[in-house]
Amino acid sequence: MVAASAAPATARHTDETALHRARVRARLISTALMTLLSAFVAMVFFFPILWWMLASIKTTPEILKAPPSIINFEATLRSIRVVLFNWDPNTSNIRQEGVGAGTFYSIPYLRDSAIIGIGSTLFVLVLSTPAAYALSRFRIRRKKDLTFWILSQRMLPVAAVAFPLNVMFRELGLIDTYRGLILIHAAINAPLAVLLMLSFMDEVPRDLDDAAMVDGASRFRAFLGIVFHYLRGGLMATGVLCFVFSFSEFLLTLVLTQGGIRTVPVASSTFTSSFQNEYGYMAALGTASTLPIFLFILLVQRHLVRGLTLGAVK
Amino acid sequence: MATGQVESVDQRLLAYRPAPRTLGQTLSTFLDRPFFYIFPVIAVLLFLGVYPFVYNVRNSFREFDVVKGQMESVGWANWERLLHDDRFHGAILTTARYVGTALVLEFALGISIALLLNSGPWLSGLWQSLLILPMVVPPTITARMFGILMNSEFGAISWLLLKLDVIEKQEPLLGGTGKHALTAVMIPEIWQWTPFFVLILLAGMKALPTEPLEAAMVDGASTIQRFFHITLPMLRPMIAVAVLFRLVDLLKAFDYVYILTSGGPGTRTWLMSFDAYQRSFTTIEWGYGSVLALVILVFAILLSNIYVRVFNVGWGNDDGSR
Repeated sequence: MVAASAAPATARHTDETALHRARVRARLISTALMTLLSAFVAMVFFFPILWWMLASIKTTPEILKAPPSIINFEATLRSIRVVLFNWDPNTSNIRQEGVGAGTFYSIPYLRDSAIIGIGSTLFVLVLSTPAAYALSRFRIRRKKDLTFWILSQRMLPVAAVAFPLNVMFRELGLIDTYRGLILIHAAINAPLAVLLMLSFMDEVPRDLDDAAMVDGASRFRAFLGIVFHYLRGGLMATGVLCFVFSFSEFLLTLVLTQGGIRTVPVASSTFTSSFQNEYGYMAALGTASTLPIFLFILLVQRHLVRGLTLGAVK
Repeated sequence: MATGQVESVDQRLLAYRPAPRTLGQTLSTFLDRPFFYIFPVIAVLLFLGVYPFVYNVRNSFREFDVVKGQMESVGWANWERLLHDDRFHGAILTTARYVGTALVLEFALGISIALLLNSGPWLSGLWQSLLILPMVVPPTITARMFGILMNSEFGAISWLLLKLDVIEKQEPLLGGTGKHALTAVMIPEIWQWTPFFVLILLAGMKALPTEPLEAAMVDGASTIQRFFHITLPMLRPMIAVAVLFRLVDLLKAFDYVYILTSGGPGTRTWLMSFDAYQRSFTTIEWGYGSVLALVILVFAILLSNIYVRVFNVGWGNDDGSR
């Protein structure tokens, strides 16, 4: 009504102002409703994670309460102490080093997962970046078929290769070795890494390599220059995704180890739920292992869709 | 004069013999070949894809003899056994139900949530970031998590469903006669992978040109008409890709079943990949396990190839550069 009082307005002017305000109000209300609904949906998906994180600082009776309490609960650091520091003043038999089920001290599992995850990620990046370069820059006969073949390896059912690989690993003495698992995790991630790096590589203009080569650089030098100058972001995003998938891999790691190496997924599969005390430990292990991953993935969020579709959707 | 000069250049060119190549030069020619760049990855993929295939084919004509303690040739017996293996036939049906239901639900939920987030709510970036998190939790940990949430005595999900009268006390999500067991292994799957559809479809929606929608709005098309006649057809390529990836990953489903139900109660959650795993690693039917592995492989190859052809999903279908 400010406009109306400031100047004697015609009836038509007032009508338009009112209409405009009604529209603005309606839009505001609908946006508010959409926001509320979005917040609700996001909370539904976030709730299990929140609950799991809280369970790692709850006492067992608190974990076993339905409905679960979000704010008012009895907190304890017991699970975190046992899982991360192998220290529990109340129980004597928890302090046991080594392998075997029922050991909740989880630093060894996290270490195994980290070694295999980082090792396989570096390995697969070194393998795949040149391949992506070749697919992007060279004229290769039947390139489309080759690309599709690499893609089709992403669709390979793990259950179909588990047993032959188990036999092969036993013959080669690779069971329970970091190098064997690093090789396998790299092989699983290779299609993702090649196609994703290809998608990043295609965005770097070809003129840049040509210019480098005119200046006297060899083809290989030009390739290295492109990778280290223009593809750092792409390498980062590809690396994070490969690490996440390696960190989650379960079936192949399960059948290619016999207890000597236990990654987080394998370890969490052997935590039995016969003792309800273990829920807190499982929650603490889950929280400790997923928090860093959450940070990494949010860092490369911008490239996530491209990564999940192997470069098909940008 | 001029011609004489040219001739002398020609003669010099004819007389030219390249100097023997140094090691460095040989190496640098090698570094110019695409083969050098692409070979390592192909070697690793062959190691993962081809050796196991050859091994499985060979192994499918043998079986482990418990008495002799070694592999014995059995001819086509393993393949004949496949024809009347009711448990595996059941596993195919269960897998089909699992894959089909999860795919439809994830797609329907995913596109609804993507539409919601695309309608311009405040803080949409925050909601999107929260939705990303489920995808990166290792599936085994997800299974553990939902195992507790779905516990019949104190699980929050069970409690909620009981209150809402969706399930009864004597038929819990996990356990009982297993009436809801397949649903129970699908719940973590849907929680974890609905965001996959949300992200891809949301990215697709944001990239759509706005003109067709505006034109339709001017022509007086309703919201529902605009969605079904404009948004959905334009999103088709993204939908095709998202469904393809979920389809192949759902066919591989193993982790949730392994941890939550071990295929039970009875064979209610007995999926194909779990069956192959059991034969190869638990009941020591190595030859027959290889047969099942090959069947699973053929399923995956056939389905994804048919799918790619039918929906024309392609990496670089449109440009000739690849």
